[in-house]
Amino acid sequence: MLSRIADSLFWLARYTGRAEDTARILDVTFHTLLEQAQKRYGLRWDPILSMAGEETLFRQFYSEADAHNVFEFLAFNPNNPSSIMQCITKARENARKIRDRISREMWEDLNGLYFTLGTFDPKEETAAGPHRFCGRVIFGSHRFHGVTDATLPHDEGWEFLRVGWALERAEMTARLVDVQYRNLLALSSIGGTPDSHQWMAVLKSVGAYEAYHRQYHSPIDPARVAEMLILNSQHPRSIRFCVTEMQAGLRAISNTGPGSYANEAERLTGKVLEGLRYDRIDDILRGGLHGYLTGLIQMFNTIGEVIARTYFYYAAVA
Amino acid sequence: MCLDRGLFSGYTAGPFYDEMFSSQGSARSHYARLLEKLGGMAPSQFEERRKLADLSFLLQGITFTVYSDGRGTERLFPFDLIPRILPQSEWAHIEAGLTQRVVALNLFLQDVYGKQQILKDRKIPSSLVYSCRHFRREMMGLEVPHGIYTHVCGIDLVRDSSTGEFYVLEDNVRTPSGISYVLENRLVMTRAFPEAFHEHEVLPVAHYPSELSRILRMLSPRGESESQIVLLTPGIHNSAYFEHSFLAQQMGIELVEGSDLIVDGVVVYMKTIYGLKRVDVIYRRVDDDFLDPLCFRSDSMLGVPGLMGAYRAGNVALANTPGNGVADDKAIYAFVPTLIKYYLGEDPVLRSVETYLCDRSDHLSHVLTNLPKLVVKSVGESGGYGMLMGPSAARAEIEAFRERIMSEPRNYIAQPIVPLSVVPSYDSAAQCMAGRHVDLRPYCLYDGQKVTIVPGGLTRVALQPGSLVVNSSQGGGSKDTWVLRGEC
Repeated sequence: MLSRIADSLFWLARYTGRAEDTARILDVTFHTLLEQAQKRYGLRWDPILSMAGEETLFRQFYSEADAHNVFEFLAFNPNNPSSIMQCITKARENARKIRDRISREMWEDLNGLYFTLGTFDPKEETAAGPHRFCGRVIFGSHRFHGVTDATLPHDEGWEFLRVGWALERAEMTARLVDVQYRNLLALSSIGGTPDSHQWMAVLKSVGAYEAYHRQYHSPIDPARVAEMLILNSQHPRSIRFCVTEMQAGLRAISNTGPGSYANEAERLTGKVLEGLRYDRIDDILRGGLHGYLTGLIQMFNTIGEVIARTYFYYAAVA
Repeated sequence: MCLDRGLFSGYTAGPFYDEMFSSQGSARSHYARLLEKLGGMAPSQFEERRKLADLSFLLQGITFTVYSDGRGTERLFPFDLIPRILPQSEWAHIEAGLTQRVVALNLFLQDVYGKQQILKDRKIPSSLVYSCRHFRREMMGLEVPHGIYTHVCGIDLVRDSSTGEFYVLEDNVRTPSGISYVLENRLVMTRAFPEAFHEHEVLPVAHYPSELSRILRMLSPRGESESQIVLLTPGIHNSAYFEHSFLAQQMGIELVEGSDLIVDGVVVYMKTIYGLKRVDVIYRRVDDDFLDPLCFRSDSMLGVPGLMGAYRAGNVALANTPGNGVADDKAIYAFVPTLIKYYLGEDPVLRSVETYLCDRSDHLSHVLTNLPKLVVKSVGESGGYGMLMGPSAARAEIEAFRERIMSEPRNYIAQPIVPLSVVPSYDSAAQCMAGRHVDLRPYCLYDGQKVTIVPGGLTRVALQPGSLVVNSSQGGGSKDTWVLRGEC
């Protein structure tokens, strides 16, 4: 497989994943804030912006972080490289570059999604709220996964998609937990009491609400929520699950068996995974959740760079 | 015929040769059954099918990019649902003419880059060959794999309304495009309009990719069993990018950009996730100029440094062969009948359009006095660029061309305007059928022994009323083209 094609597959996965993640967070936050007496708690939209890592950029275009502006910025704004529309556009560009290597069904599905989303009018949608648009994005992303799984041979190209999806999700979940935890804890320290609804929103945004209840049979408890999203071995959006996926994908690409590693990306992934397997949530909280998650996010960035160095870039032949 | 109702109500053939109707107004026999089906169709039904076809093209991303608006908008290549039908007997005549032409052009290229016997025999002025912009002295004396230059040719034909006969309008032997539309048009047609195929035996076209792939494999310097074939594209921004990826996928070969390839020790490799992999055959859709910055244009970012060295060493095969542009130069075109006679000892089966060479003083004066009646073409261009359509041009445009011709006569030829035949086509603005001018570009594959031509080819249609320019960049569309078995 050409390095360029592997590169495009990897980013195709990351951009569709990012679009879905952004849509989920937007949707859930919007509806939670609608329900809540948000002023009383002083809850704001700002944390979402820092989750997306685009707070500075946002300030260049908008003065106030309200529902309307944040939605417009994260869903449609062409100047925001991480906006949902930009992610879908870039995903499609990547697919177009390699359309001879992906299945016809994948291409038509993604191309159709691109055109469908293009028919949404940003003005109308920002007025109507994010549910309709975000629902379409989430559904589109799920369908694209399904079409990919069912039509693309599960060869090394598929593994690059798998690694891209898993890495994107792992990073997004880490950001989500970090930002929400800080935000909600800060709230209690100034005398507010975030009730369980905020924590429910966190779970819902990653589709883990029902799973939480099945797992714990107990009321929503911040520590358990963090445990679920970081250390759970089965929920497809927990960090541990995603890193397990990354490891499986990377090993399949290099044809490496368990217990060893073929390159730096595999070594780092394995190291992170060992931690996630044996760490306990109480220890993590005691040692500082923010520091722990920041460390993970940095590690994911490094792994992304190392994958690119190993497989995508080519030094000229001497 | 029921021209008084349904889709064709009010249709008149007009002064041009109508592919569907005879001059008496009755349907030609090879169109009769289709017309019967269409005649019973309500315009709204037809419109529905048309939308279905458009949607299918859009979803598949069969679009080309228009740069003029600065944003690089993707547009559909308009598709007209009324097929262009040729009876097999007429197709056989065309096929014979094209076969002869391809073989002669290939012999000409072998000769021009080899012994140059035709120049020594003074059948073609040497000056004409050497002054050709696409003549590549780098190719002189090089033995090309299997002696094949013209692996893929697209030869443009037009039917002259005044004689009803097919003429060759131009040859494209560099990197002709459009075959993907032939294959996709057929596919979309069978989906959007399946009943049109009932009672017709339409000759299939789907074998093109496998035939091309067979020829490419044959060229491999390491033998067919060990042949790594790639298609070299300028990239996603090229207007024919859809075709490049389509063909690569159909043939199951790697689609590469220049930066995916590297030359080391006069061998070409591609950069894969597991290391360098040797490449044997390159079906290149990058122009000569951009192929290798060490050999041709040094500012090219699309090519592969050292590629021509590897080619010269016989370590990689290229299709089509560099330097082919000397054979489809529009001034050389005037000599193709001479070439056919010279190399094959035969008379041309298909005639050429009368051509005036502006660097001949007698022709030049005729051209300059008759500019408003002629079409003037720049010899090295393709795609409908650099052209003057005398009758429809503004006076200032004609005068501008006069200046250009006089300052660079070798660069221009002129031809009388050919009154192209028409095929009924749907005018969506007026919501009725109207005759629109068409040409025909069949695609010829040559393996050194045999010329294979998929039946039909691409029928391009000028959708603007009265327009004679069929190029997609100038508002043209296309039609499915049927060759009917056994019809006469």
